[in-house]
Amino acid sequence: MLVEQKKIDEAVATIIGFGGTGILNCVQCGACSAVCPGVKAGFPLLCRNLIRSLLNGQLEEIIEDSSSWGCQACNRCTEVCPQGVRPQEVVFAFRRYQANELAFSTSAVTSQMNLYETGHAVFTDPKELRRQVGLPEVPPTSAFNKQAQEEIQALIDNGPMGELGLF
Amino acid sequence: MEKIGLYLGCNIPLKAPDIEQSIRQILPPLGVEPVDLEGAACCPAWGTAPSFDLDTWCAVSSRNITLAEEQGLDIMTGCNSCFGVLSEAKHFMEDGERRRTVNQKLAKINRSFEGTSDIYHIAHVLHKKVGMEKIREGLKFDLGGLKIAVQTGCHSLWPSDVYAVKEENPYQPTILKDLCEATGAEVPHYSRLGACCGMGGMRSTDMEKSLKLFKEKLVSIKEETDADMIVTTCSSCFLQFDMSQPILRERGEIDFEPLPTFYYTQLLALAMGCDPSQVAALSQIDRSAIIARIQDEQRLIKEVA
Amino acid sequence: MAKVGVYVCHCGSNIAGVIDVSAVRDYAETLPDVVIARKDLFMCSDSGQEMVKQDVRDGLVDRVVVAACTPRTHEPIFRAAIEKAGLNKYLFEMANIRDQASWVHGHDHEGATEKAKLVVASAVGKARHLEPLEDKFVDVTDAALVIGGGIGGISAALELANMGHKTFLVEKTPSIGGVMAQLDKTFPTNDCSACILTPMMVDAYNHPNIETLTYSEVDDVSGYIGNFSVKIRRKQAYVDWDKCTGCGDCAAKCPAKTPDEFNAGLSDRRAAFIMFPQAVPKKAVIDMDACINCGGREIGSEPKLNKKTGAPILAPCEKACPADAINRSLPLDPGGRIKEVEVGSIVVATGYQVMDKGWFKEMAPDSPNVITALQLERIISATGPTEGKLLRPSDNQKPKTITFVSCMGSRDANFHTYCSRFCCMYMIKQARLLKEKYPELVINMHFIDVRTAGKDYDEYYTGARRMGINFFKGKVGGLEMLPEDKLRVLAYDMESAESIEYASDLVVLATAVELPEDAQGLAQKLGLQFCGSNFFRELHPKLGPVETSTEGLFLAGCCQGPKDIPDTVSQAKGAAAAAAVPLAQGRVKIEPIISEIIPENCSGCGICVPLCPYDAIAMSEWAGTARAAIEMSACKGCGVCTSACPSGAIVLHGYEEDQIFAQIAALTSGGRNHAG
Ligand SMILES: Cc1cc2nc3c(=O)[nH]c(=O)nc-3n(C[C@H](O)[C@H](O)[C@H](O)COP(=O)(O)OP(=O)(O)OC[C@H]3O[C@@H](n4cnc5c(N)ncnc54)[C@H](O)[C@@H]3O)c2cc1C
Ligand code: SF4
Ligand code: SF4
Repeated sequence: MLVEQKKIDEAVATIIGFGGTGILNCVQCGACSAVCPGVKAGFPLLCRNLIRSLLNGQLEEIIEDSSSWGCQACNRCTEVCPQGVRPQEVVFAFRRYQANELAFSTSAVTSQMNLYETGHAVFTDPKELRRQVGLPEVPPTSAFNKQAQEEIQALIDNGPMGELGLF
Repeated sequence: MEKIGLYLGCNIPLKAPDIEQSIRQILPPLGVEPVDLEGAACCPAWGTAPSFDLDTWCAVSSRNITLAEEQGLDIMTGCNSCFGVLSEAKHFMEDGERRRTVNQKLAKINRSFEGTSDIYHIAHVLHKKVGMEKIREGLKFDLGGLKIAVQTGCHSLWPSDVYAVKEENPYQPTILKDLCEATGAEVPHYSRLGACCGMGGMRSTDMEKSLKLFKEKLVSIKEETDADMIVTTCSSCFLQFDMSQPILRERGEIDFEPLPTFYYTQLLALAMGCDPSQVAALSQIDRSAIIARIQDEQRLIKEVA
Repeated sequence: MAKVGVYVCHCGSNIAGVIDVSAVRDYAETLPDVVIARKDLFMCSDSGQEMVKQDVRDGLVDRVVVAACTPRTHEPIFRAAIEKAGLNKYLFEMANIRDQASWVHGHDHEGATEKAKLVVASAVGKARHLEPLEDKFVDVTDAALVIGGGIGGISAALELANMGHKTFLVEKTPSIGGVMAQLDKTFPTNDCSACILTPMMVDAYNHPNIETLTYSEVDDVSGYIGNFSVKIRRKQAYVDWDKCTGCGDCAAKCPAKTPDEFNAGLSDRRAAFIMFPQAVPKKAVIDMDACINCGGREIGSEPKLNKKTGAPILAPCEKACPADAINRSLPLDPGGRIKEVEVGSIVVATGYQVMDKGWFKEMAPDSPNVITALQLERIISATGPTEGKLLRPSDNQKPKTITFVSCMGSRDANFHTYCSRFCCMYMIKQARLLKEKYPELVINMHFIDVRTAGKDYDEYYTGARRMGINFFKGKVGGLEMLPEDKLRVLAYDMESAESIEYASDLVVLATAVELPEDAQGLAQKLGLQFCGSNFFRELHPKLGPVETSTEGLFLAGCCQGPKDIPDTVSQAKGAAAAAAVPLAQGRVKIEPIISEIIPENCSGCGICVPLCPYDAIAMSEWAGTARAAIEMSACKGCGVCTSACPSGAIVLHGYEEDQIFAQIAALTSGGRNHAG
């Protein structure tokens, strides 16, 4: 691996731009990785090791790695980090970088569509189940609420997600 | 009666409406009136807007929060993820610059985030606002002798600096333990109490990794507590425990029968005498035996009976 | 008319790298009363100084302005130079164009140059009005005070005493020794701590020049270098130390228990206790917070009488004491008594404490088998709660696997950002001692990185690896409580980038070094300041490591920052040498940059008296009326009184009104005010 300052600067700037503002605080102590369920489960590029790769300037090289999508956003890393890095934010910043380059699994597209159309990322028609447990068939959510759905669509359209051409 | 905005999220109203029903049934007798937040949408889940754009995330979350702000109410979530997402978004919105940008987006749908509503999890409402005393008073059945393994779930523990209500020590959470003990049940400690169940992004990205993690947690529960059931305050954890135990059993990866799992308000509703076909009707794992044990006549508390 | 010489320094590239030094020099030449303006690569070099001296000797200049770095380090150098050349050294002014211009405006060369011109103009403005001043001297009390009786304080006291100075050694606990007395063996040579410390404790205690005052604290300090008056509170021991022989019979009979601080809370001691077997002095103390007043024997009460025999009913401690040193009928003052001493200089060596494990919520602090390294030190010490056997607290069984966790609260933005400096070494020490004694023990050590800078230290570490001790690079993230009081260690191996999990029987936390809680109060009494890491601040981190901003007050040991025993002893000896200087000189110089009250102008209103932070002003009689007067040797020249006096009766020499106005005028007129 070559150490290229230009690539390092670019990786850092990209991550900070996507919300991983604490990345340069990282001292590579590894505490985050010690408690990360994702690292434990075997995702190679989360927490400390993801930050290491980014600080090595390996942004494009790891763009296809799916580890970041295995992050539970549990934020246990944030709780133990002694330097205030908020590693989960770095993981998510990297995820956002991937997402904006459309480097994510197609299976993730369904929930974006659901969100856009119904306001619910997880959507199944609930009417029968609701009737069964004695609730009104239509929940008081955006699920069947036209105005609410339009509001959500306006918020999404009016940002980078809307520009990805998913909807 | 104290009013609070009931924020349902996605899983509870669409996939597990019996949890919603249990929430609606237990709160009024305990002095809390849940008020619907008409048109509330997804929090938005971690895998959606938060994975694409911080401002869009904050805008969708803030829109949800404004539904409560308009009515002068605080928000109560049932799902841990929703609690986490909304709390984090609110935390981000404390940054003046961010608030300005997001409010510009919200202005397009005639809304404005003011930051006046606090975000609670239903466990917090029960623990801090209702209190153990009142919960005990409302019981119809005493769950003495039953053993519960609790699953608090990550998103109400960490990162503790963004939560309005938090555990004294997030690594040794006690809120759910207290709530379960209020029913008379016993809540033994197990070592992987704070461990992640593997639901969430991990499960959708790599099912096998998720199951591996889940199994470790489950085995710790079984071996260290031999619990009669699992009780959680996270609707995502609930789904993992309910869906994945049968898978592990079928594959022969565990040598014990799946442990019946309840969302906490389901347990409380049962203990308060609610109808199981309404408040605890939907699960993969057959819960009829444990429900019968919970609502056993011998458990009837005299004064109420 | 003053003849001002201006000398502009390049300071290598420190100044010249940003500022156009020639332009500043050219500009200086145009300022009023400036007769000469020169520049040099290094003004503080011999040749630079010589240039100034020559101009003075030649009678060309009678006021000198050097535009260079900070007066904190360099003013004394130039003052000495012009004095040598025959000019009053207070006819000197420094313009700090490095800190105030080149360093802070490194990106704006032009702006920095303009600002440097202003700073020079202001200094010149003042220099034109400077008046010669004379140093003053006061006599010194030939005695020293050392506060804190750890290895730092003991070393400093012995050093001062050996130089022939009377030394008071004040220690707040009943015995001297400090943390070192709690240690088993010491790195890097593994010699037994007590074996090397106890003789020093005895030497200090028996030294004819040392008066050791244990169970004592400093209550109040007044005065100044050469003449401090100190009130020392000798706390109430409730045992007559003149009689106490240190037999310990009282402790053996006392039924009241409380956690033993010396064993870091791992065992209990009694309310009547002797701190540890090798205590110096070996005297008993009754801890009234723990005492239960057996038989209703409150202090100062008459004993009840036995109904049958009529004999007085005494408390067990009283009954047990063969030396009659305990008499609970006496109305002993719970506040103890005050001893007043006069000293010429003070060394503060009050040491440190380690953080409690309770701070680290992720580390299962409720488990009895999670202990601090200091607790382990007690466990492996022959005088500790297990008499040196490695037994874990929960069940007194020998652990099979033991885990060391570094950096608990150190290098952590939530607690302390600094490195506690000696934990890596003592953890390796503890691991080595255990591995030597119990080769079958599995020892896992987790470090962010191993820091073993020091003579023979890295060899000590590499030796530990060869002994079969396991080292992992990666901070431990948490502990989970397992059945049988074991702990699951959630760790990480940086090299393989994999998480690590295993069950451990005993976990040792290297918790951070910090100042003891009562340090704040002591700092207030002594006028000590804190550094960014919240230790006592030294005068200069490099060149004044034992001095403080208060003259006559010195620092030694961990109270100034974490350091191991060799460094503590070195610093203590340095502090002792520095503290001995005024004592050896017999008199101290008072800089004339202090305030003076012109009695003719004083109205006697007294406003200044309470304002003085050094209690230097008092009302006295002058020509039959009340007037404020300043005690010259107490005044530090801060100027608070000067600016507050409604009658303008106070002059701060070296910062007189016309001088300051000239500076302001130069600054506000862009340096172009040639008047006055
Ligand atoms: C677990 C552990 C193992 C260690 N092992 C080693 C080792 O092997 N080798 C090594 O070189 N170093 C070791 N050290 C470091 C060593 O303890 C310190 O370097 C040393 O104790 C510093 O001495 P000190 O005199 O500065 O402070 P201390 O030892 O803390 O002494 C300060 C003294 O001042 C007293 N005091 C405090 N406040 C006041 C007050 N207001 N008035 C009066 N008295 C006061 C205290 O009671 C104490 O007696 C170890 C430290 C720990 C925690
Ligand atoms: S938030 Fe993501 S990266 Fe952090 S510990 Fe949880 S799973 Fe790992
Ligand atoms: S815990 Fe914080 S400082 Fe340590 S490696 Fe992780 S992000 Fe970096």
